[in-house]
Amino acid sequence: MMFDLFSDIFTYRNNVLTRIDPRVKLVIVLAALLAVVTSVRPVLPLAAFGLSLGIAAALRIPARLVALRLLAPLSTVAVLVVIQTFTLGTTPLASWEIGGWAVTARAEGLRQGLFLGALSVVLILGITTPAHRIFQALRGFRISRDWVEIAILMYRYIFVLLDRVNDLAAAQRLRLGYRTPRRSLASLSALAGSTIVHSFEQAGRTHNAMRLRGYSGTMPFGELPALEGRDQRILVAGLIGIAVLALLEWGVTP
Amino acid sequence: MRAIDVREIRFSYDDGTEALRGLDFYCDEGEFVAVLGSNGSGKTTLIQLLVGLLKAGSGRIEINGREIGGLSSEELYQRVGLVFQNPNDQLFAATVEEDVAFGPRNLKLLEAEVQQRVTGSLKAVAALPLRGRAIHHLSFGEQKRVSLAGVLAMRPAVLILDEPTAGLDPAGEAQMMQLLKKLNREEKMTIILATHSVDMLPLFASRIYVLDRGLVLQAGSSEEIFCQQEMIVRAKLRLPYVSRLMYEMKRHDGVPIDGLPLTIGEARAQLLDLIPKEMILERIEEVKP
Repeated sequence: MMFDLFSDIFTYRNNVLTRIDPRVKLVIVLAALLAVVTSVRPVLPLAAFGLSLGIAAALRIPARLVALRLLAPLSTVAVLVVIQTFTLGTTPLASWEIGGWAVTARAEGLRQGLFLGALSVVLILGITTPAHRIFQALRGFRISRDWVEIAILMYRYIFVLLDRVNDLAAAQRLRLGYRTPRRSLASLSALAGSTIVHSFEQAGRTHNAMRLRGYSGTMPFGELPALEGRDQRILVAGLIGIAVLALLEWGVTP
Repeated sequence: MRAIDVREIRFSYDDGTEALRGLDFYCDEGEFVAVLGSNGSGKTTLIQLLVGLLKAGSGRIEINGREIGGLSSEELYQRVGLVFQNPNDQLFAATVEEDVAFGPRNLKLLEAEVQQRVTGSLKAVAALPLRGRAIHHLSFGEQKRVSLAGVLAMRPAVLILDEPTAGLDPAGEAQMMQLLKKLNREEKMTIILATHSVDMLPLFASRIYVLDRGLVLQAGSSEEIFCQQEMIVRAKLRLPYVSRLMYEMKRHDGVPIDGLPLTIGEARAQLLDLIPKEMILERIEEVKP
């Protein structure tokens, strides 16, 4: 399941979205995010969510993978929505009395559900662009080199550490490490401890390998090619489309 | 000329373990030298000293006639390159191309030269089709070859490899050894290989060092090393399987074998010498259906 969560095999398919320059996709996604999180009505976020699911279906991304990728962030959003619905805002939607306490749900809290749309936009970026091309795009936008360097290393070693965690967990299971809740807890602690130690050791070995190839604190990156005309047109069209939708959402009329 | 010259080198780890105890070692330019030893014999410590990852307690290490301490890291890493045992330690970029380009870009070469080196190195290890692939999508054997390409892109005069065939299937092992042989014979690259796998060495190594507990137990050609059965056992190693078979036939069955064949080709030639051809043909006729 963890491998599915991080797998990028779909990003290597040849389709209309994977062929777009990642810099263009990144700008459009950022604009869409901005439009979604600043929208005052649920239409745009829901439209973004629906459109994203539609794109995922059209690209034949398995529904299980889409659900899996949305699950973790959506759980966080769900908790936020529930808490904020009952604690923030001034516009009551409904009220209940539970054990002598008056509990009121308010409209402002429910607006956090807008993040649903935002998450789905990011999901589409993630299933149509290999991580290393996103990092390349970030470099093109003059994002801190250190940050990009750390992101590259983290992404690269996620798979190495997942392999190790998988092997260790299998070895624990084969010796009944997860037979009872108590044993499971002990096994999980040992697994986490071992993974942290392994991460440090791996970091040391990788740093040595980097030094042997001339690393002195900064990763060198190659030049990015200029944007092609087609990508430029997609960028302009995408931004205009999002701006129009956002203005409609805000109720701005010509 | 000596590519590497090591004199009386000593090294102890912080916990007091004496890994090397006055070891002497040399390697001439263009040689293919194998460092053979069991786990804990000091092989990995020696190669880490040769590339400057560890600093010797005492003794002297010279690379192409220059003391290792007097070389800048840029000079050192263009003279010696190390291929790690586990490719995951060495492949840290997201794609094959970026990983191989890492060293040349650190040398601040022009991008055209960087790309030329990337292409050349990937071609040398038969990995050019992998150029655009993500590292985590490669098989173990492919990762091994790409990690070798990353070091080759630095154009080191001496290539050091720590257990280059560990974890490879027989086909991958043979491919890796053929690649190294080609680099040594055609590119005249000096190769030092640390291993405890003995079966392929007689085919490739011009000289072998046997290490045991931080000392050189014996150094010499494959024939000189593997004819000393007791020394091999003392170093917790073994003979190549084919040599072991011939040794047992000689010892237990009295088969008159000259010396000890180290390769299948040598063993076959010796056995054919011993058995009259007519006898083989007769036997073939007998077993024919």
